[in-house]
Amino acid sequence: MPCAPPTQRGTMIGKGYTRRKSLVALAGAAAGFLVMAPARKARAAVQKLFTSTGAPKGYDPTQHKWLMAINIERCIGCGLCVEACKKENHVPPQPTYFRTWIERYIIKKPRPGQAAVQGETVVDSPNGGAGGFPPCEIPREEILKAFYVPKLCNLCEHSPCTQSCPVGATFDTPDGAVLVDPKYCIGCGFCIQACPYGCRYFNPYTRTADKCSLCYHRITRGLRPACVEVCPAEARLFGDLKNMGPDDPIAKLVRTNKLHTLKPHLGTEPRVLYAGLDKEVR
Amino acid sequence: MNERKLPPQLIRLVILTVAILGLYGLARFFLTPPSFGELGFYRALALEEATLRSPVFAGQKACDECHSDTIKKVAKAEHKTVSCESCHGPGRAHVENPEVKMGAIFCVRCHGVDPARSAWIKQVDPKKHYAGQRCAECHVPHQPSEVP
Repeated sequence: MPCAPPTQRGTMIGKGYTRRKSLVALAGAAAGFLVMAPARKARAAVQKLFTSTGAPKGYDPTQHKWLMAINIERCIGCGLCVEACKKENHVPPQPTYFRTWIERYIIKKPRPGQAAVQGETVVDSPNGGAGGFPPCEIPREEILKAFYVPKLCNLCEHSPCTQSCPVGATFDTPDGAVLVDPKYCIGCGFCIQACPYGCRYFNPYTRTADKCSLCYHRITRGLRPACVEVCPAEARLFGDLKNMGPDDPIAKLVRTNKLHTLKPHLGTEPRVLYAGLDKEVR
Repeated sequence: MNERKLPPQLIRLVILTVAILGLYGLARFFLTPPSFGELGFYRALALEEATLRSPVFAGQKACDECHSDTIKKVAKAEHKTVSCESCHGPGRAHVENPEVKMGAIFCVRCHGVDPARSAWIKQVDPKKHYAGQRCAECHVPHQPSEVP
């Protein structure tokens, strides 16, 4: 369709400006003004979905680096930590969902004639240790040694779970916890497969991945994680690497014990230290 | 002028590129949540949200507000490493309303005999050790070495 010839009558308008161009520019500017306000509103509405209010202030995550130490010799397998964790963090009650759990390792004596230092290793963890362990069925004379191993998120320095998350929903915080952002988690389960320690589970109620958060709502309020709080035997110790004095329980444990971490060959560099760990523990 | 003009296919390509970049910018403007990227490739606000939940276990300090006498006694006895909430259960409901009763766990939970339990903790077989009698008849839970 042929365009109408530009009008050249106006004396106020310089050469190259036409009525049509001016009107279009004016309409564009007006539309821009009109669009700006709803755009800001729409943006605010979209972002409100992600925003929170009322979080306790005064906690600076860059001023802390949390770690945990577990003294296997002290653990008595009472299972109070497992129950406390479930109560504190609303972990589903079924015996397949745990943020922390206890394993009982029973190493049998070698069979007669078997040229080995030790026999079969039997590991059990009925209900993760919640409610205590039932009496051991293996007769005492067959047992070479036995011990409990509490397990939890290993607070990896190079965490495979955060690297595998496709949407940035799980991350290492500056203070050393590994958290899940439930508003961003799409429940794909990659992180659950990626964790070499089996420390994650799929929460069937929230439809997101869940894991030990190091009781982030407690440690930011100056409390200890629930499992550490209730441990009657001081088997679980909790500390801050950036504010650690020589009298700190973890500093003492490090001085007086041989330490080990789980699966060090994976290069995850866990910040959960185990004192007195046996080679049978994986 | 004519030989300087861009060929139409290039102009179309430029328009397409600008449109795609514009759409990307628009989507980014609307969909990037606030605080994303402040601390890393995640929402910094998620840290705050993780702190929102109230603790269920109140902590030893909260017990100390009213029960400091008991805590001082326990601190001198064998159970000094045991916190109140280990045996009595989560205490926040009780802190908010003292009418809420606290429970107590069975001693055998820790003191029952088990091969995986180290020798440092005193263990008994509840079937052989004065079966049928309550532990508290002979042992004071807060001061285990004392006789009631």
